[in-house]
Amino acid sequence: WSEWSSESYIQIPNGQPPGKPELLRCRSPEKETFTCWWNPGSDGGLPTNYTLFYSKEGDKSINECPDYRTAGPNSCYFDKKHTSLWAIYNITIKATNKMGSNISEPQYVDVTYIVQPDPPVNLSLEVKKQVDGKPYLLLKWYPPPLADVKSGWLTLEYKLRLKPEEGEEWETIFVGQQTQYKLFSLNPGKKYIAQVHCKPDHGEWSEWSSESYIQIPSDI
Amino acid sequence: LGNLFDRAVKLSHYIHSLSSEMFNEFDERYAQGRGFITKAINGCHTSSLTTPEDKEQAQQIHHEDLLNLVLGVLRSWNDPLLHLVSEVQSIKEAPDTILWKAVEIEEQNKRLLEGMEKIVGQVHPGEIENEVYSRWSGLPSLQMSDEDSRLFAFYSLLHCLRRDSHKIDNYLKLLKCRLIHDSNC
Ligand code: NA
Ligand code: NA
Ligand code: NA
Repeated sequence: WSEWSSESYIQIPNGQPPGKPELLRCRSPEKETFTCWWNPGSDGGLPTNYTLFYSKEGDKSINECPDYRTAGPNSCYFDKKHTSLWAIYNITIKATNKMGSNISEPQYVDVTYIVQPDPPVNLSLEVKKQVDGKPYLLLKWYPPPLADVKSGWLTLEYKLRLKPEEGEEWETIFVGQQTQYKLFSLNPGKKYIAQVHCKPDHGEWSEWSSESYIQIPSDI
Repeated sequence: LGNLFDRAVKLSHYIHSLSSEMFNEFDERYAQGRGFITKAINGCHTSSLTTPEDKEQAQQIHHEDLLNLVLGVLRSWNDPLLHLVSEVQSIKEAPDTILWKAVEIEEQNKRLLEGMEKIVGQVHPGEIENEVYSRWSGLPSLQMSDEDSRLFAFYSLLHCLRRDSHKIDNYLKLLKCRLIHDSNC
């Protein structure tokens, strides 16, 4: 027998091609920008890279996500420059690793129908008295800072909810486009919790705002 | 003028709500799993009318031009809405709610058009408005014997109606704040 030949090597790769990613949701807080999030699916045990591709109605080119950073992991942010209304976006996610790649089912997104604002802010509560001495609770709030209500680009409607601190049932009041409300049915001596949320004229309700509290004096 | 705008915005809001409900009803009932949306892209008869596609574009356009665009889009729907009302009755088991909405939208669209002509007359009186609108040639496709093709034709028309009624509502709310409230709504 001769000596053994010189050694040769092969690395048997461990790991699998990625699973199919899935576009979970897209949302626009103000009808000017939007963000899409995806579920990455299995990475096959390997470092896996995710790319979002989109094509926009009226435009033949296929583009890659303009901004993967702003909205955090597994998301793509479309700034004003990349956002058009009244055009369908065809969106796919491609997962790639050393063993191969996999692509999500295409999703069709129209920014017009994914508008959900942030909650209103600075809800304040104050006990006041009318000229005739009748007490009322004045609730005031502001639209979410991103929403351009002044120009009329976005029209918001509001809903309030209130309950005594130890109570279980919320009382819900639809207030239309106003940003304040006078409540006359007060229980003296009780501490109340209040929240407000908003909805664009043709969109989804926001989350509720953070809670505001007021102690109603017992001698009113 | 403020009063006219209030009425126009109420109407456009109502028309879009109806269009949106009608599209959703049709979509749920007839379009599930047929992949219509992929074919509906680039298919609206009004796409030849160039309209602002975001806030900045809408704010840069002169209010008279935006008003004329709204008129053009509204006029472009006169003819298809008329045919929608008659042809929608041929859809198998079409629920009354869809039939009723088609009739209502057709009527209210005419009222909105009249109101908009009054508004335009007050904003720039004397000026002869150009009769710009986009012609619709979709009637034969609403009458096709192949059911799948016919349902797609309806889907596409309702999708475009929902889109255009939203545009009109959005532009009118913007114009109302600009012209009546000095952009401080
Ligand atoms: Na990201
Ligand atoms: Na934009
Ligand atoms: Na739309």
